[in-house]
Amino acid sequence: MTVVKTTVDQALTVLRDKQTPIAQRQQKLRDIVSATFDFQAMSRSAMGYYWKQITPDQQQEFQKVFITFIENSYLAKINEFVSGEVKYLNAQPNGNQFSMVKTSVVMPNTGPIALDFRLLNLNGQWQIYDVLVDGISILANYRNQFNRIMSSKGYDTLIRDLKSKEASLAASMGT
Amino acid sequence: MSTQGPMKEQNERTASGFVRCAIAAASLLAVVSFAGTVLAQQPATSAGSNPPASAPGAAAPENLPGENQGVYSDPLAPFNESMFTFNLKLDDWVLRPVATGYSYIAPQPVRESVNRFFDNYRVIPRFTNNLFQGHLPEAGGEVARFGINTVLGLGFFDPADTWFGLKEHPNDFGLTLRYYGVAPGPYLMLPILGPSTVTDAIGTAVDIGMNPLTYITLYTDMPWWGSTALSGGIRIIDAVNYRSLHIDQFEEADRYAVDLYGAVQDFYLQSRENRVKELKQE
Repeated sequence: MTVVKTTVDQALTVLRDKQTPIAQRQQKLRDIVSATFDFQAMSRSAMGYYWKQITPDQQQEFQKVFITFIENSYLAKINEFVSGEVKYLNAQPNGNQFSMVKTSVVMPNTGPIALDFRLLNLNGQWQIYDVLVDGISILANYRNQFNRIMSSKGYDTLIRDLKSKEASLAASMGT
Repeated sequence: MSTQGPMKEQNERTASGFVRCAIAAASLLAVVSFAGTVLAQQPATSAGSNPPASAPGAAAPENLPGENQGVYSDPLAPFNESMFTFNLKLDDWVLRPVATGYSYIAPQPVRESVNRFFDNYRVIPRFTNNLFQGHLPEAGGEVARFGINTVLGLGFFDPADTWFGLKEHPNDFGLTLRYYGVAPGPYLMLPILGPSTVTDAIGTAVDIGMNPLTYITLYTDMPWWGSTALSGGIRIIDAVNYRSLHIDQFEEADRYAVDLYGAVQDFYLQSRENRVKELKQE
C-alpha cells in the first residue's frame, strides 16, 4: 500500500509541477515508473503461453521492445490523470508474494474511476506488475492482443507492430 | 386503410402484430438453436490452458495472479473480424461525422440530458433483470428511480441520484443468463450493436422484446412498420447522442492498442465477467 501511495503521490507531484520544464518532468516520471513497475514480469506475463515458444534471443528482444512501449503507454496514461484526486481504499494481500491495492480516482468531469494495482514482492521489494482500470486488467488486455498476433501473424509482425505503435505514441506525446 | 369495417381492420392489425411476434420468436429460436450447437463447443474463455511460464530469474514466481485471463478461443473469428471492420467503417463514415455535427448544434448539457432521458427509458430491462436475479432492493430502486426521475426530473434529470442517492443498477438479460450459469458462449461481433457473445446477443433480443414500444402497433393506428421505425428511430437518436458524448473513444483505444480487435474483445469480455462476479456477490 505504501509503495503505491508513495509512487502515485510522487508521480502526481511531478506532473503538477509547472515550474519544471516538461522534458525534465517526463524524465523524473520515467525514473519513478521504472523503479516501481516490474517490467520484466510484465513482459513475460504479456507473452503468456508464447513466452516459452520463442528463443532466448527473441525473449530479450521482445522484452526490450515491449518495455519501451509499455513505459511510454503508462507515461502517456498518467498524464491524463493529472487533474484527478486519488483516494486510497485498501490493500488486499494474497499470500506473501502478491497484493492488490485499490484506489478510486475522481476526475473533474466524469464519475469516479476505480484504479487497482497488482503488486509482486521480489526479494523484499514490492513492485507493480498490473494496473486495472475499472476492473479491466491492462496486462490481460495486452496478453489477448499479443496472443492473437502471435497465433495468426507471428513473432516478427508483433515486434514490428509494437515498434510502430511505440513510435506513434512518442510522436503524439511530443517526445 | 381498408373499407371492410373496423373489425376487419382490428384483425389485420392483430394479425400483422402476431406475424411480427412470430418472426421475432422464430428468429429467437433460430439464434437459440444456433447458439446451442455453438455453445457446445469451446467457451469464450479458455481457462488454465496456459502452461506455467518458467522464469529466467531464480526468485521470480511461476504464475502471477490473473495470469490465465485474456486468452479467448474465438471460434467465430472470421465473421467477427469482418463485422468489426464493418462497424469501424460505419462509425468512421457515418456515426462519428453525424455525432460530431450534432455536437455542434446541441450543447453538452442538452446532450447529457438526452442521455439521461434514454437511461430512464431503459428502466424495464434493468428492473426485470434485477428481479430475475433476486436482487429485490435494486429492482425496487429502479422503480423508485423511474418514478422520481419521470415526475421530479421530467425524464431529463436524475434527481433520484443527486438528491436521494439512488443509484442506477445496470442489468440485462445476458447477465441474467450468465448469473444462472449459462456459459457466456463464443465472442460475437454484432453489426452496428458492437461486441457481444452468443449468450449476450440472446439477452439483447429478449431485452428488446421487453420494450413496450415494440408492441405499439398492436394498440394504435400505426401501420405495421410503425413500431419498427419508431423504436429504430429512437435507437438511432440514442446512438448519435451517446457517440457525441464520447467522441474520442476509438481514438483513445487505438492510441494504445497494437491489435484493436483484440483490445475491444478483451475489454468487453473482461467487463462482462467482472459484472457477473459483482452481481453474484450482491
